[in-house]
Amino acid sequence: MLVKDVMRSPVVTVGPEATLEEAYRLLLERGIRHLPVVAEGKLLGIITDRDIRLATSHLNPKGPCPTCAKVEEVMTQEVVTAHPLDPVEEAARVMRERKIGSLPVLEDGDLVGIVTGIDLLDALLRLTGVTEPSGRLEVRLPDRVGELARLTGYLAGRGVNIHSLLSYPEDGDFVRAVVRVNTLETHLLAEGLRREGFDVLWPPKKPW
Amino acid sequence: MVIYRDEYRLYNFGPDHPFSPVRLEMLTSLLQALGVWQPPHSPPEASREEVLTVHSERLVKRVEAASRGERVPDLEHYGLGTGDTPVFPGMDRAARVLVGGTLEGARRILSGEKRVLQLGGGLHHAQYDRASGFCVYNDLSVAIRHLTRSGLRVAYLDIDVHHGDGVQWIHYEEKEVLTLSLHESGRYLFPGTGHVHEVGRGEGVGRKLNLPLEPFTEDESYLEVFEALVPWALRAFRPDVLVVQAGADAHYLDPLADLLLTTRAYERLFRLILEYAEAFAGGRVLLTLGGGYSLDGAVRVWTLLYHVFHGLPLPERLPEGWLLVWQERLGRPLTPTLHDPEAPYPGIPRRPEIEKRNRLTLERLTELVSPYLLD
Repeated sequence: MLVKDVMRSPVVTVGPEATLEEAYRLLLERGIRHLPVVAEGKLLGIITDRDIRLATSHLNPKGPCPTCAKVEEVMTQEVVTAHPLDPVEEAARVMRERKIGSLPVLEDGDLVGIVTGIDLLDALLRLTGVTEPSGRLEVRLPDRVGELARLTGYLAGRGVNIHSLLSYPEDGDFVRAVVRVNTLETHLLAEGLRREGFDVLWPPKKPW
Repeated sequence: MVIYRDEYRLYNFGPDHPFSPVRLEMLTSLLQALGVWQPPHSPPEASREEVLTVHSERLVKRVEAASRGERVPDLEHYGLGTGDTPVFPGMDRAARVLVGGTLEGARRILSGEKRVLQLGGGLHHAQYDRASGFCVYNDLSVAIRHLTRSGLRVAYLDIDVHHGDGVQWIHYEEKEVLTLSLHESGRYLFPGTGHVHEVGRGEGVGRKLNLPLEPFTEDESYLEVFEALVPWALRAFRPDVLVVQAGADAHYLDPLADLLLTTRAYERLFRLILEYAEAFAGGRVLLTLGGGYSLDGAVRVWTLLYHVFHGLPLPERLPEGWLLVWQERLGRPLTPTLHDPEAPYPGIPRRPEIEKRNRLTLERLTELVSPYLLD
């Protein structure tokens, strides 16, 4: 999944000469929180609802006046951006590390989209496959070549379709695999997997 | 009134499939052996047009073709030909026979019958253009639509251990249908839906209620949230009729799920459902079967249902002859009493935590739907 698959386009933008009040109204009307600042097709900066609220708060007596101050006085410059072909996990990582809520997406210097934390959550939902009717299996696998293939091979052999498969490393040379499968019979699958030597964590084994 | 015909057993995915017609054979033979079986009303099968009141033409066409043994390349896209819902010859008619039973129940209610027990159906996973989870056509939705088109408000109550997703999505935007599903949380169990925040859309907002329960919920916690939620919702919605999917797979012996109810909880549930029908729906209630994949558990649960439905005294032991025949046929022992033994499984150490979480889920649900439920 790439940034171009999850980004919003076209992007709502604002010019550097707009007043803070105009920018804030635009944010409210569109129900968004991030406004790239653009002049002649080039990205100059970005301004968020929070930037405006902090700048114009009554707790900030030296703050600019909302109706006359311009966006360019308050916007963040040297914007962190993404490319349409960046993987979504890279975008998520940059946003997390820089503690920012969105990334304008640039291609050859042109603004072609924007990706926000919400878009990344939507991406996560799609990656987990929860939108299809499915049951859930959780299996702990040794972290070595061929284990995942053994698991998916077993499922294929039972005629079970996999809607999604997520895996992540666990302590002690293990990998945790979370599989969404198109069957009600996850308990019976789990029993079969246990007989094949798999460490199935969900569904649990009943003690009777 | 009880609705049943032997052709229900044509709905058969094969000998190793959990949705087995043996359940009906065992159930009806047990009721006969107990001497309580009365000749049921035999329903006609539903017509193609009746099926089309809730399903797409393209789904029905594929079911018909697969039923005739034709090769259909995009069958899996429609949820058919999968491990769970394989195709078999005559599947279209077999499914229409079950739909016909539930639909006949709806017709009987409209013509003045108060209580109807349909000994089959409950295919709550089937969606508008997709078969799913053992369910080809959605008999419940066909019956519900027949009732709403006749001007009735319908409250649908689903106690199957799996979320009643098909019925919910089919009526998701309808104001006159309240759906109320208690199930093991989709976090852990098929179909993965049925979260508290699925409350309906458009005119249907606040009329679709889901109470996802923790695995290992057990009798006490289940009854606690059921008795808090169901009468509250019914009182607010004021239905004309209650349609109930009485799946038996929340039973502790069920091989596909983990809610761990015993027959004692089921007896109480069935009595409460009839009481609620009296109190909130003018006594009108249409009950169907549903999931239930432990032959031992499901057959006793539905035998209980039959007795409570007719107001019959409950037998304690099951007839010896019946037990002998079925134990030999299945090659394993069966519980000899109608009720489960006391404390039939080891204690669940996380019980207080589970009860707390279920209460919290109930609270979140009622907070979410309260603003909408009252009309």
